[in-house]
Amino acid sequence: MEVAFWSGRSDDLGYLNQEYTELNHALLYGVLTVPQFAKIHIKHLHGIVSDGYALFVSLALRVVLELYNKLVDSVKQQLIWVVHEIVGVSGVGFDGLLVGLLRHTVGCDYTDRGLWLCFELINLFLANFTSLLEEEPSVLTSALYVYLRLLADHCRVSGNVRVDLLKKLEIEFCVKMLRGQFHLSMKIGRDLVRLLQDLVHVPEFRCIWKDLVLDATTFRTEGFSDVAQLYSTRTSSRYFLLRVTPEMELQLRFLLVHVKFSHLKRYQMWFAKKFLFEPERETLIVDMIRFICCAHHPSNEIIHSDSVPRWAIIGWLLSCCRKKYVEANAKLALFYDWLFFDERMDNIMNIEPAMLLMVCSMPQYVGMTQSLLEFLLLLVDNYDQVRSYTIAKGVSLAFNSLVTEGVNSLDTLTSCDALSPFLKERLKKLLSSTNETLPHQLYPGRLSHCSADASPLETPSSHPKHEPAGA
Amino acid sequence: MDAAIHLKDIVPAAQNNITTMFILLEKSRIKIKGESKTCMALVADETAAVHLELWGEDCDAFEAGDIIRLEKGIFSNSGDGNKMNLKAGRRGRIKKMGEFTMAFVETPNMSELQWVVDPNNPKKYIQLAVLSPHSRVFPPLP
Repeated sequence: MEVAFWSGRSDDLGYLNQEYTELNHALLYGVLTVPQFAKIHIKHLHGIVSDGYALFVSLALRVVLELYNKLVDSVKQQLIWVVHEIVGVSGVGFDGLLVGLLRHTVGCDYTDRGLWLCFELINLFLANFTSLLEEEPSVLTSALYVYLRLLADHCRVSGNVRVDLLKKLEIEFCVKMLRGQFHLSMKIGRDLVRLLQDLVHVPEFRCIWKDLVLDATTFRTEGFSDVAQLYSTRTSSRYFLLRVTPEMELQLRFLLVHVKFSHLKRYQMWFAKKFLFEPERETLIVDMIRFICCAHHPSNEIIHSDSVPRWAIIGWLLSCCRKKYVEANAKLALFYDWLFFDERMDNIMNIEPAMLLMVCSMPQYVGMTQSLLEFLLLLVDNYDQVRSYTIAKGVSLAFNSLVTEGVNSLDTLTSCDALSPFLKERLKKLLSSTNETLPHQLYPGRLSHCSADASPLETPSSHPKHEPAGA
Repeated sequence: MDAAIHLKDIVPAAQNNITTMFILLEKSRIKIKGESKTCMALVADETAAVHLELWGEDCDAFEAGDIIRLEKGIFSNSGDGNKMNLKAGRRGRIKKMGEFTMAFVETPNMSELQWVVDPNNPKKYIQLAVLSPHSRVFPPLP
């Protein structure tokens, strides 16, 4: 086949390409559906392969992304089996396959099926740690992000033997990464700190956390000496995609592109029923907010249409939080990029939803504005008391950039009668103490007519540039 | 496979000639009449809404938010009163295609139109009047 494949005659090539494609389809189908012949099918695959398994991997990836939830258990088991095989031969694109599977793990899903996938994948990562380190280290960083986040949920469960067993493996993997491969771990950027902070109550992570904030040199990583270096690294949107399933991503993007405000209610009900119905599921809101702020940046055309804006969906998600700690984590997720904002490397689209949510809630839901602003000022003082100046500066620069880009005027907040005078005073103080050169060309009243039932947002034509989602 | 038409273009007829796609917005309680189960649903696409009659197992098989394809369906008098409802009938097929990702409108509702026989063509129905802009069985959410 190899000889014929390269014979150069295009009709041969076309014919063989088609035959090769069909063989790959058939072998994948066979492996997934007829377990007793899977080993033979794989042997045949090894025999015919001429593209480094690229086609086979891409077909398997489509199964993972488009069909996973519809697969029966035996097929899911075969899928994991074949992924082990593909990782074993380093098939072209195997990292994408692992990332695709990681996206299907759901932290607050304690069903046998849900836990099974977490188990299978953590075993795979531990068993192949050394080879992955050589072949595709970035997939280990992705797995670290996923498992730190899963642990935050799993560590809140007690008395479940399976979860306890799983936790042990997850902790083993994460500690191995953080202690042994910090240079890979820190590639996550600032959200690594956010995730670790949620795990400080777990002894293994408490030590790591202490070292990170008190003596970063213990990680013995060249060029890393202080946690502030992590703060100043914006986390790539691909990490946020890891924590929404492909189905959630599809539905959230649909909401934000195709749904008009007037039709939102039914979609909200369906979405909540599917993804947030069970009480433990609300921790997903934190991941959804990070996804919306950092991985879904609408085009100017959408911004100026009557599609539901991002801030409105975030406001709704916040209102779905029942537990205090989830609500606090969700607000932290919303403001996280504000704390370390640096216009040279941060994207204003990541901080825009929080500002618009505060401003657009004022007419009808001033309580929302008040609680968000309160939370933000609380973060400035308490998030990291040693580096509070850095954070105050970040927040001030964030406000500054939003004003300069015309997203909103500060007057709208500082002159709102319904907001507590104490908060307004503190806001003014923060802005004047950290930034003497705050621009005075504010846009008085630019958004003053914006109401929560959202007339299209009056965002200026020179709307901030946005990175393509998924960048 | 017949080409799908938009809901705004469906016209009552005594034949199974409607192939279309829609999203299910709401379902009524299931009624049991002797051996058979039935329920009513509000379905819609981006052009119009209509009432859909579900029979038997279909009543439980479909949920709000499901995107559904109807093949060889019939839009005809429901039997009680003079209302036109869409249904698969004995010769039609109804199949779930997906979930959530379809835009819809709730007005006009094709079941809330008054249809009369075309005076120029006794085989055809034409719209006479709008009885209600939206479903009176499933009023729009507040």
